[in-house]
Amino acid sequence: MIRITVTINGERYEREVAEHRTLLHFLRNDLGLTGTKEGCGAGECGACTIIMDGRAVNSCLVLAAEADGAELETIEGAAAGGELSAIQQAFHDNHAVQCGFCTPGMVMSATDLLRRNPNPSREEIIDGIEGNFCRCTGYQQIIEAIEAAARAAGAAAGKGSDHA
Amino acid sequence: MLHAFSYVAPRSLDELLAFLSSHGDDTRVFSGGTDLFVNIRSGLVSPQYVADLKTVPGLREISFTGQEGLSIGACATVNELLAHETVCERYPVLRIAGEELATLQLRNRATVVGNIVTASPCGDMTSPLLCLGTDVVLVSARGERRIPLGEFITGVKTTQIAADEIVSRLIVSTDRIDASGGYRKLKRIKGHDLGVVAVALVRAANTMLVAISSAAPTPVLLPEFDARTPVAEIQKSAQAAISPIDDVRCTSEYRRFMVDVYIRRLMEEVPA
Ligand SMILES: Cc1cc2nc3c(=O)[nH]c(=O)nc-3n(C[C@H](O)[C@H](O)[C@H](O)COP(=O)(O)OP(=O)(O)OC[C@H]3O[C@@H](n4cnc5c(N)ncnc54)[C@H](O)[C@@H]3O)c2cc1C
Ligand code: FES
Ligand code: FES
Repeated sequence: MIRITVTINGERYEREVAEHRTLLHFLRNDLGLTGTKEGCGAGECGACTIIMDGRAVNSCLVLAAEADGAELETIEGAAAGGELSAIQQAFHDNHAVQCGFCTPGMVMSATDLLRRNPNPSREEIIDGIEGNFCRCTGYQQIIEAIEAAARAAGAAAGKGSDHA
Repeated sequence: MLHAFSYVAPRSLDELLAFLSSHGDDTRVFSGGTDLFVNIRSGLVSPQYVADLKTVPGLREISFTGQEGLSIGACATVNELLAHETVCERYPVLRIAGEELATLQLRNRATVVGNIVTASPCGDMTSPLLCLGTDVVLVSARGERRIPLGEFITGVKTTQIAADEIVSRLIVSTDRIDASGGYRKLKRIKGHDLGVVAVALVRAANTMLVAISSAAPTPVLLPEFDARTPVAEIQKSAQAAISPIDDVRCTSEYRRFMVDVYIRRLMEEVPA
């Protein structure tokens, strides 16, 4: 066992963890943060996507021990104060959720994409979610939701400042 | 679930190398872990210790000098390589091939060096690095040695690395700096599938380099060609050098066919 300290969605956690524990299992089983999903457990599906020190990663292929000192963002942090984030709202409005299993990972990848690139083209959206499988929607609604979220953020930014 | 192993986080290179001198046979070092943890999970390897290279200072750097060339540190990720200005401008084939490797999330962790040490016949970084002329720098408590990439990889997933050694960095020569390049990879789904076959081509002033992966136990670098060599001659040389297999992804016949197609397309696409 080793002792680690991580910040998750702004909150500090200090825990003893088995050295072979994956970050995904640490989040889900030790901390009860079950929003992050496990699909394949092997880097293929993206259901376990979280943001670690500002970068999207597959938490199934990271050890909890490696995250000592890291800043993590998970889906639980998306709806700050109980309000859906713009991306979550856009997924809701555009029917981008069917069974919902891929959704937490998709929302985290979309969050990462829109931070790096607030105005992505359709191609860039497809590249941004290349690491996330969806077995239900056929992706169209997800792509449209991310386009809508980008538009909504652009409109909000436009309102808030003098220059467009 | 992963089997119970101990996680080692060395604070210096000396500490790591001393640890490997005594425990090298029971240890796997790792950086991104995108190969190691998949292999541990499937029971392919079961080390007693995993040693994290990322806690060792000074292994992450990508740097360029006119004398030495491009140095890629052990912990430099593929996405860090893709974001590096000198790489994008002066070694374009590395950017083009790097973009083909896995997915965005994996490239945020996966390292260039890990891709080389894994020595998979379909590793995406090996062929372009072979075309550019790359050396592998190995260090251990016994000292340092430098070997050409083509000699470092000895077979399917085997290399010259000893149990007490790590690869500290790669050095890409300046021989083909500013050369134009291209990379064509046949796969079923981007990021979710291993390459079925891939070809890298680098065109320098008067010469052309071609390397092929997933068509032999190791990626194959063809002998250097004169820039005016006709396509058919390069294809003939490629067909003689490769030994593709039939497997679940396709037949050897299809691999041979696609190697010829990609050589032709790259010759058309990559500017002289
Ligand atoms: C879903 C999925 C898709 C993938 N797709 C692709 C793809 O399209 N193309 C491709 O080429 N690869 C692909 N890979 C494989 C993998 O992501 C790459 O090979 C990656 O570059 C490995 O880097 P890493 O840092 O994660 O390696 P690690 O897992 O950290 O290490 C890999 C191996 O090398 C050893 N090692 C690592 N660094 C050193 C060092 N400095 N010194 C000595 N030994 C070392 C480790 O002990 C281990 O055996 C994929 C993997 C997954 C899970
Ligand atoms: S659970 Fe991590 S990628 Fe599938
Ligand atoms: S909504 Fe079911 S997998 Fe995407």
